[in-house]
Amino acid sequence: MKLVHVLCGAVVLAGFGAPAFSAPDVNLDPQSVGAPPIAAWPTFNGDYTGQRFSTLTQINTSNVYQIAAQWVYKITDVGAQRGAPVPVIKCTPILVDGVIYITIPDHVWALDARSAKELWRYDWVDHGGHLVGQRGVGVWKTNVYFLTPDNWLIALNANTGKELWRKNYADARKQYFSTSAPLIVKNHVIVGVGGDAMDMPGFLDSFDPETGALQWIWWSTPRKGDSALKTWPKESVSEHGGGMTWMPGTYDPQLNLLYWPTGNTNPVFAGQGRPGANLWTESVVALDLDTGKLKWYFQVSPHDTHDFDNTTAPILFDRVVDGKPRKLVAQAARNGFFLTLDRVTGKHLVVKPYVPLDYTSGLSPEGEPIPIPDKDPSVGGSINILNASNWPAPSYDPQTGLVYVNSTEGKAIYYLTDDSAKPSGYGGTGTGIGRTTRVLQAIDPLTGGAVWKHVYPNLNSASTTVGPSILTTASGLLITGDDQKNVIIYSADNGQILWHLQVTENESGGIITYMLDGKQWILFGAGDSLYAYSLPR
Amino acid sequence: MRRWMLVAVLAGGATTFSVAVRSQEGISGGNTQNGASTQQPNRQPSYSNMTPQQRAAATRAFLGLGPEPDKAAAARGAPLYIQSCSFCHGPQARGATAPGLITSDEVLGDDHGEHLLLFLRKGRPEKGMPSFATMTDGQLTDISEFLHQQVEDVANRGAYHVLNILVGNEEKGRAYVQANCMSCHRTETFAHVGSKFRSPDQLQRSWIWPSQSDNAVTATVKMPDGSVLSGRVQEVSDFRITLIDSAGQTHSIDRGPGVGVELKDPLAPHQAMIMTLKNDDMHNVTAYLETLK
Repeated sequence: MKLVHVLCGAVVLAGFGAPAFSAPDVNLDPQSVGAPPIAAWPTFNGDYTGQRFSTLTQINTSNVYQIAAQWVYKITDVGAQRGAPVPVIKCTPILVDGVIYITIPDHVWALDARSAKELWRYDWVDHGGHLVGQRGVGVWKTNVYFLTPDNWLIALNANTGKELWRKNYADARKQYFSTSAPLIVKNHVIVGVGGDAMDMPGFLDSFDPETGALQWIWWSTPRKGDSALKTWPKESVSEHGGGMTWMPGTYDPQLNLLYWPTGNTNPVFAGQGRPGANLWTESVVALDLDTGKLKWYFQVSPHDTHDFDNTTAPILFDRVVDGKPRKLVAQAARNGFFLTLDRVTGKHLVVKPYVPLDYTSGLSPEGEPIPIPDKDPSVGGSINILNASNWPAPSYDPQTGLVYVNSTEGKAIYYLTDDSAKPSGYGGTGTGIGRTTRVLQAIDPLTGGAVWKHVYPNLNSASTTVGPSILTTASGLLITGDDQKNVIIYSADNGQILWHLQVTENESGGIITYMLDGKQWILFGAGDSLYAYSLPR
Repeated sequence: MRRWMLVAVLAGGATTFSVAVRSQEGISGGNTQNGASTQQPNRQPSYSNMTPQQRAAATRAFLGLGPEPDKAAAARGAPLYIQSCSFCHGPQARGATAPGLITSDEVLGDDHGEHLLLFLRKGRPEKGMPSFATMTDGQLTDISEFLHQQVEDVANRGAYHVLNILVGNEEKGRAYVQANCMSCHRTETFAHVGSKFRSPDQLQRSWIWPSQSDNAVTATVKMPDGSVLSGRVQEVSDFRITLIDSAGQTHSIDRGPGVGVELKDPLAPHQAMIMTLKNDDMHNVTAYLETLK
């Protein structure tokens, strides 16, 4: 594949007498966010729905074979980080006013979208935290917001990279760490946090975008006086119950509700010290944007003991069901269940396994899977599924009406390593066993059944996160990849492979598309490089 | 921030590994036959080949857990802690009538006693915690290291160990093997199997999912011109298959139109077993095989 370096071309195109390069002029109107993204990709999911569906059609099923790399930006000057020998781009790139923002832990880059020229770079020196990934920035007016591994919210000038202010919201010594992209809605910067090594409670913060002042905090486990405490043996256990909020949620402007997925319960694998359902860990929760008050919850994995870490995107979409228009939210949960809920009430329409599993005895009246205790981690070992999905984003295509997810089918043996009455931390471990199969699935959210599947052939077991996010477009394309460094474009309606290309690493972050100078671009990160594709000139 | 200087030194060295459970990323699948598709280049010993000490150190650096507790001091501190602290704070400092200490600000804000000593000398009389000023600095340091060791034991999952996994019934295990395994295997297959692995959990893992190198997937590839290639598969994707034929020659074949690929997996019966294996049967068979020394 020929790479066309357009650094010079961009200068020529800028026109006679025009400055060879104009200074960035990023200014994102918060009111404009939420509309289908066309000339920008201003949020983690492009809009607030989590659909990762683009209305663009210039690249379509009949010309997709012509697309070619226009530039590749490689991170060359960041060395090994703790636990990461080479940089891996796990962010979804953000594009506003011709400027692309990408991140890895501790670093932000602003790139000119036409040339990939570096406009500025921001480097942070962390004092702790876990450098496992960084999902990207948030933008509000002329500000960019970035979360550091050691839990600082940093506001930068979007045009210069100059730091405006910073605010610490969690203690890295308690093993809180941050990898998320802040979600910005109106005058709220919504910040989630990770960290499950030391039995700390999860929370979600809302900050003022101008000053960094805390507006509200929502704790993902209940405190004194809350009726949800009956799902915990006592308050002191709930206060150490986990439920991290480390992936960006979604938002419905009409209902003014945030939809947030909450992570695994603590202690992670040893559940004997916390009998009960352990609300609101392992749930999808609906929170009022302006107050952070809980409107409803649906717990996907009551009393989780398998690190099912329910952080896959809750996707918002509307459908007519039995003749009535319904506002819905769907999630391909990491515990192997696909769920579709009414997003006004939280009541379930569909809860159904989408990978082979046998650890539940049925559903509760509320539709929540009932775990079989014998499948809990044990001293002698207990076989159960690997995470069926993970943080890489799924997609919903309103034209096909299908949810697309890269799923993992496979098993692990889970051992209890702390069989005391008062376990702490992980308290257990898991080790994969047998073959792991990755399967791209097109799931009808009104039935939970797959309309088509594509099994990726591979002899090597993939990590549950290898294999990237998904993007669908109005021209019928589904863009994703396998775990053998192939970028693959499918026909979204039937799963036929239309195009593929092997790059140097697996696609590792979010895939975005946008119009720039009359051309549709497809942008994705793979390992240490960011690739920009379009049709040839 | 001395704690961070130490971690930075560790991180600069060798942390090319994948923790058994990477927070936020989940457990990896079980089959790492070729190791070819790992996302990160593996120049360092893989996590599964590390010594327990290497694992603990690598995980500590990866998680940013700070300096390693002084194990000898912690051992000296254990009886002092049991005598003076465990009644209120629990034998492992996880709380009893008084709060747990392993997530407390006082313990986590301390590296090697420099803050805790001052705190322990004073106590917290307003909450009923006495002063320990009568103890020597050495004793208080040892108690501090004991507390840091309790944190390490919980937070550093690279230092976790499986317990005694031999919980099954040998006789039932023998019956399972007779009923389910002998259509493919013979008695000799299992001779001395109990002495071939370094631990019962390795034995358990290995009988369920045996070595890949002895059980390679093979393929028959029909080329568009009608010729046929066959051999041991190195890699396969939607677009390419790489195999080694019986003469040792490597063939990399694009899976274009007219190319037919048929894979044969000798471990398919084991994969089918994994998908339905009951925990009791697993424990029983492991207990039985462990007796075949």
